[in-house]
Amino acid sequence: MTANEIMDLLYGTLRTTGIYNFQWNLVIMWGVGCLFIYLAIAKKYEPLLLLPIGFGIFIVNFPLVPLMGYSHGHAQLLQVFYHYGLEWEVIPCIIFLGLGAMTDFGPLIANPKTLLIGAGAQLGVFITFTGTVLVGFTLKEAASVSIIGGADGPTTIYLTQHLAPQLLGANALAAYSYMAMVPLIQPPIMRMMTNEKERKIRMRQLRPVSRQEKILFPLVTAGIIALLVPSVIPLMGMFMLGNLMKESGVVARLTDSAQGSLMNIVTIFLGISVGATMHADKFLSWKPLFIFSLGLVDFAVCTIGGIVTAKVMNLFLEEKINPLIGSAGVSAVPMAARVSQMQGLRYDKGNHLLMHAVGPNLAGVIGSAAAAGMFIAMFD
Amino acid sequence: MKIMILFVSLLFFFPGSTYAEKFLDAPVLPLGSVTQKTDARLEMKTSQSHDEVLSFYREALKDAKDIKFRNWKDATYIEDDGNKPWHSITVSKGGETGTEITIVKDNWTWIIGTLLLRYVGVFMVLMVLFLGMSLSGKIISRSVQKMDSKKAAG
Repeated sequence: MTANEIMDLLYGTLRTTGIYNFQWNLVIMWGVGCLFIYLAIAKKYEPLLLLPIGFGIFIVNFPLVPLMGYSHGHAQLLQVFYHYGLEWEVIPCIIFLGLGAMTDFGPLIANPKTLLIGAGAQLGVFITFTGTVLVGFTLKEAASVSIIGGADGPTTIYLTQHLAPQLLGANALAAYSYMAMVPLIQPPIMRMMTNEKERKIRMRQLRPVSRQEKILFPLVTAGIIALLVPSVIPLMGMFMLGNLMKESGVVARLTDSAQGSLMNIVTIFLGISVGATMHADKFLSWKPLFIFSLGLVDFAVCTIGGIVTAKVMNLFLEEKINPLIGSAGVSAVPMAARVSQMQGLRYDKGNHLLMHAVGPNLAGVIGSAAAAGMFIAMFD
Repeated sequence: MKIMILFVSLLFFFPGSTYAEKFLDAPVLPLGSVTQKTDARLEMKTSQSHDEVLSFYREALKDAKDIKFRNWKDATYIEDDGNKPWHSITVSKGGETGTEITIVKDNWTWIIGTLLLRYVGVFMVLMVLFLGMSLSGKIISRSVQKMDSKKAAG
């Protein structure tokens, strides 16, 4: 072997390494990925999702890694997860199956007028849409960004994949980050929008809900959603199936799997797939940064919308609603309900609002799905 | 003369490629006559059939993203869901005197209007659910009460 041949061989080997193909913008993405891993581990912000998302961001931002592309006609590992889980919109629906299997709709059934709070809390979604279009996003992108305010991760992912898949990573990251920050974002807004007297309103204890009502609820809800907003029935249908399995009490094994192992499996695939979409080439532009800042405004306006709706309802109700539960219309379940509880106790030690706040919290899930359905219908 | 013949034959064989004019970045059908034109709206009439006009627009917009063709009863509605200056192109159907084409500018009235309708729509959906739940709750509560009172009596 001549010296030239040896040099050629070494140079050829060097060209296949990541070091040779290194780009400086990848370092920024390593920082972003590690930041979310830090938030997940040290601060315990939504660790189930932010940890795999953060790692997904980190690992795809290395040169030449065969993860999110195709080689020899076959999809690479994370491309497979992304294609079958997210592009086919399967994972968000399975997550909703698990969520339904964990959810007790009793507080909502006992006080169904709190459904309107869940609707009112979607105000930010529609206002943010306007702002997003003003800045230069397309209508579909604006719809996918504005649904972040609904604080519902699977719905955000479902709608974004449907309308603007290029924004999936940024939207999902913004949604889950802000959901984790609900205890920081909401209390100042709640204090600003309510007075001392309103915060001390005590609500009557909720009536007991029979097993038959709890079994009928998912069927009635699925039927109504299928008739009025059929485009989101994959999400809401699975949500209601999970709940029906739970409330029937006869398929405990299926319920345990749905809320346990199945949920955990798809969460792993969801997190790493979402993270894997955030390559430096796509993420480092003004749009993701704008999405993050607008997401905060979206969240705030949704919180305001829920509280204002509760206050408007009080104009017509004899038994007043404590407006602090209005903020729980933002469907960060169960965090937003806990925030209402904590704020209520702050002003009246005997005023337990948790169960009252769970109603609008769950209504927010249905409300944000309905809002997503409205957007899908707008473009289909 | 030769140039005239060449131009006319280009128009005849390649209609999609010979439009020199655009209105708000929307392609304008050549050989149509303008009936009304403002900054925000252009109305035209042409003797070409609806299908011919539609094939012109399909060809002209084939590379454009976020364009939706909606087949309505009286017209084909071409909508831009991206961020082009124009919002819609309506191509009428079944006109005996020809085909009418209307190009409308993107406007905030449409955006705000549709958002308001959809926000109200969310309320409507949840209101229907509220009514459904209230009704089913009452029916079940009564039947559960009846069953409980029968058990208590028995």
